[in-house]
Amino acid sequence: MLVGAFACAHTPQLIARPETEDRDLVLRVHAAFARVRRRLAMLQPDAIVMVAGDHVEAFFLDAVPALAVYVGAEAAGTFGPYTYRFPIHEPLARAIAEQGIERGFDLLYTQHARLDYAFFVPLHFTMPAPAVPIVPLHVNVYLPPQPTPRRCYAWGEALRDILGARPERVVLMASGGMSHYPGTERYASPDYDWDRRVLDALRDGRGVELAALTGEELDKAGNVELRTWITVLGAVGAGKAEIYCYEPSWHHGNAVVEWQCEPR
Amino acid sequence: MTDTHYRFPPAAAYALNRCLYALKSDDAFRARFVADPDAAMAEHGLDVEACAALLAADRDALVARGAHPYLVFMADLRLRMARGTATFEYF
Repeated sequence: MLVGAFACAHTPQLIARPETEDRDLVLRVHAAFARVRRRLAMLQPDAIVMVAGDHVEAFFLDAVPALAVYVGAEAAGTFGPYTYRFPIHEPLARAIAEQGIERGFDLLYTQHARLDYAFFVPLHFTMPAPAVPIVPLHVNVYLPPQPTPRRCYAWGEALRDILGARPERVVLMASGGMSHYPGTERYASPDYDWDRRVLDALRDGRGVELAALTGEELDKAGNVELRTWITVLGAVGAGKAEIYCYEPSWHHGNAVVEWQCEPR
Repeated sequence: MTDTHYRFPPAAAYALNRCLYALKSDDAFRARFVADPDAAMAEHGLDVEACAALLAADRDALVARGAHPYLVFMADLRLRMARGTATFEYF
């Protein structure tokens, strides 16, 4: 059953802060992460299913899956001085892969791909104690052609049904966003107004509107990673979001959001 | 979608993107690049222009040659972390 849903920024500057970053802003985002951590401790999930966009770490141009499920015993990776390793909830991961395929989603699955920092950063700050196993779900956000927002939303609807029929208490977490343009000439000019309009829609329970966006619109707004949020929105439907924080830095709209879920 | 920020990576830029990917994600390769960039770039068979753009960390020139902007961004960040030319507060 789905017992909670969140969306979190994973900006690397939140974990490895260069002098260019406002320390107080970083700490305010950490405070929002701590709130998620406390909520996770209350929700007592058996697993965290995390939807993130691999930053061309596990999946380079040799093979580019639109959607992937990690089904190994564990998932591990490194980022700078950090080395991390998370056990995977194998029965849940396998159920997602099998039932996702059954429902028409041609998923890639992996038992050994590296785990990108997009997964690690939110888990570093929000994993409750004792730690719970995860199921990493990859959505291609950076290597065009990416899956459409409508497809991501439909995948989220399928996840809602798959998780809803499972005995485990599951928290769904999106990692990514909001507006940022890494590596481009727009890096210092994110579209914060666009972000705020999206957050207003989420607060009102109008998340389904995001499914109608085009990939081009997401790219223009610096929100290619919002595909991970849109996936979670497919699962939470008309649920109203609580915005824990929206902290625009000079290059990134950092948001942390929760949707409270009634177990189905 | 030719005016998007992130574009379909052209096949002709595969070697350049492969080299940027290695700088981003392969600690041993990054160390070799820091020690001897010419030899490291030769491992990926980069042409003279691509080598010059990479050595100059010329983002616009790299992207114009088909490099993926995110790979350019993170390769540069990881090189600065490795060289110790930027200081970080780790949480």
